[in-house]
Amino acid sequence: MSGTTTTPEKVPMVEVEIDGRKVEVPEGTTLLAAARKADVRIPTLCSHPAVEPYGACRVCITEIEVRGRKRLVTACNYPVREPLRAFPESDETRRQRRGVLSLMLARWPNVPAVRLLAEKHGARPPSYTHPLRNEAPDACILCGLCVRACSEMVWENVIAFAGRGAGRRVMMPFGKTSERCTGCGTCAAICPTGAIQVHDEQNRPVDPARIRKYGFRLTQEMTLLDDQQCQMRRVGTAHLVEIMDAYDLLPTHNYKFGKHPDTPKIASPVWKSIVRQNVPDGCWAGCQMSCSKAVEGFVPRTGPYQGQKVLVDGPEYETVAGCGSNIGVFDPHDILEINFYCDTYGIDTISFGTATAFAMECFEAGILDPQKTGGLELRFGNGTAALELLHQMSRGEGFGVIVGQGIAEMKRIFAEKFGGDPQFLQDIGMEVKGLEYSEYVCKESLAQQGGYAMALKGPQHDEAWLIFMDMVNKQLPTFEKKAEALHYFPMWRTWFGLMGLCKLPWNDIEPEDNAKYPEPNKVPGHVEGYINFWAGMTGQEVTIDDIIRMSERVYNFQRVFNLRMGKGTREWDRGPYRAMGPVTVEEYESRAERYDKQLRELVGYDPTGKTTREKLAALRKYREEQYERLLDAVYERRGWTRNGIPKIETLRRLGIDYPWVIEVVKPWLEKEGAA
Amino acid sequence: MSPSITVNGDPHPWREGLTVADVLRERNFVFPLLVVSVDGVHVPRDGYAATLVPPGSVVVVTHLVSGG
Repeated sequence: MSGTTTTPEKVPMVEVEIDGRKVEVPEGTTLLAAARKADVRIPTLCSHPAVEPYGACRVCITEIEVRGRKRLVTACNYPVREPLRAFPESDETRRQRRGVLSLMLARWPNVPAVRLLAEKHGARPPSYTHPLRNEAPDACILCGLCVRACSEMVWENVIAFAGRGAGRRVMMPFGKTSERCTGCGTCAAICPTGAIQVHDEQNRPVDPARIRKYGFRLTQEMTLLDDQQCQMRRVGTAHLVEIMDAYDLLPTHNYKFGKHPDTPKIASPVWKSIVRQNVPDGCWAGCQMSCSKAVEGFVPRTGPYQGQKVLVDGPEYETVAGCGSNIGVFDPHDILEINFYCDTYGIDTISFGTATAFAMECFEAGILDPQKTGGLELRFGNGTAALELLHQMSRGEGFGVIVGQGIAEMKRIFAEKFGGDPQFLQDIGMEVKGLEYSEYVCKESLAQQGGYAMALKGPQHDEAWLIFMDMVNKQLPTFEKKAEALHYFPMWRTWFGLMGLCKLPWNDIEPEDNAKYPEPNKVPGHVEGYINFWAGMTGQEVTIDDIIRMSERVYNFQRVFNLRMGKGTREWDRGPYRAMGPVTVEEYESRAERYDKQLRELVGYDPTGKTTREKLAALRKYREEQYERLLDAVYERRGWTRNGIPKIETLRRLGIDYPWVIEVVKPWLEKEGAA
Repeated sequence: MSPSITVNGDPHPWREGLTVADVLRERNFVFPLLVVSVDGVHVPRDGYAATLVPPGSVVVVTHLVSGG
């Protein structure tokens, strides 16, 4: 597969000696960065690790010796290409630095950043009066940090230098307020003098500086780390396609399998080459993650826009997996066309993909045939048939009317009208509570099976995505640990919904120091950011426990709503067996070594000499029992009864034991003898 | 019995010169958001290629939470 590599490429190392300290750095490292590595401080006013060096202030001027010859360079933009010695405290360096700072003092005598540096390095104001002398303490010193930040960190170029010589200044185009400016505040956050102020008059936060501090940290992480991490700005969530395939988690052929030899045809390098805009495209103005993507000039081959140039908003990972691998389609054009028409018709790509995958498996299993589908050959891989199904769905015609009702209805119709085996339909129909599954294979993660099937809105992974923690890291070996994860993460992620905040900046970029925390999976540095966002906006200090409690109140309300709608009990928290393990002989035999091993080691069942059907049955019995034990553990942790009903004491603890809430739960509690 | 290590609790064959980068490659751990430790000592990303894994080591590769 064309995987993401975790091993950095080797670059030649160069030895440098800075102020007597030797250090090795990769060729091309700036002298300033090398000095930081050697723990030697070189002063600067216009440098920041998140933007390209510019050499504007000249304060970092340093004497160096290369091959026996001495000269002066600006450390921030001098690349180390061969062994050298640097003398940041030599007489010549200090003399030059004082001169630079003296010139700055002449022009901006009251800017604290300039004054502090000048005092520290012994620079005095010159005897002459600078013709452009600016007495303001927050004067712009033309360091260019804001200009570079807007361009390189935010990818906007809203501000730039204008004018020359004495007239040089920072401004928006033509001196007017640009509509492109989102007010993200990055320029203000990076400005060393306070020359730029951003006022949020719409939201009126209590402490804007506190919010800006954490907002800037995220912007900086996106700038410095995203290219080596998830590449959210470059390709968005589609970066996951080949990763999920590598871990056997990419749904193919209605979740039968987790990988496919054709995955490279729909992997992230393909999307990177097709996504043409390659500019920040956030769901809302000012988002620094900007993971939305679009394909311009796309020409559909079917439907009402056939032959016309259109813009496709996407594709997201879920769309690639749902409308691609899960229906056996590995043609990027067809995936984009389904993406486009789903958006145009107002149809969810996940539900369309999962429902179509179910219909395709039913077709291949003989439950459906061309007579029943109106001539559609709904075989895996038939993108043309999938597109026609989509058009029929939008027009309310043909077989599209049946598929458009979703899997829960299809199961009933296929059993009643087409003679399908209800048990088989139940086993392979990937829905719970009437909603189709999103696009991850969860057979090997018991915790994720719960994360999906117990989700209150139906099997959407935005309550909990625990596959790596459970299946790969093996961090959740006991039911108690799984239950704790199925308490913390759904509550934490529910909070994003309560706040109207996106969760992607929480975990799709990792802080550089994340490894230092005992529970890096919770990304504590970013949790701290959200806590500060809340406090900065409202003035109310909170802890993570307060946040979890906010969510718990709403989550339990939602459970009561589910109950009122007839779907809030244990039977509605069980998924189809396809989500838990192999349904068919074909599935079992495709990973026979894995399943045989589990039978031996976990179930205590010797698979030797047994038929695949016997082994399937033994494995199923074990996995279904495990799932029931998981339900018990999670309900216990959440303060619910064995039937999944919030206990009175839980409602009381959360302060939501209102009479109309009690009225809903009481009959259910009485049935269990728990009232 | 040939020497081995454990990776996230599973046995993994050891050989002379085995590095963290080798382990990640052999386990097909391609997810970019990893926290790696060898015998409890954190290995930073830029140290994967140069960090040797001794026989009998306990390697823990923590994949962070993913999913859109």
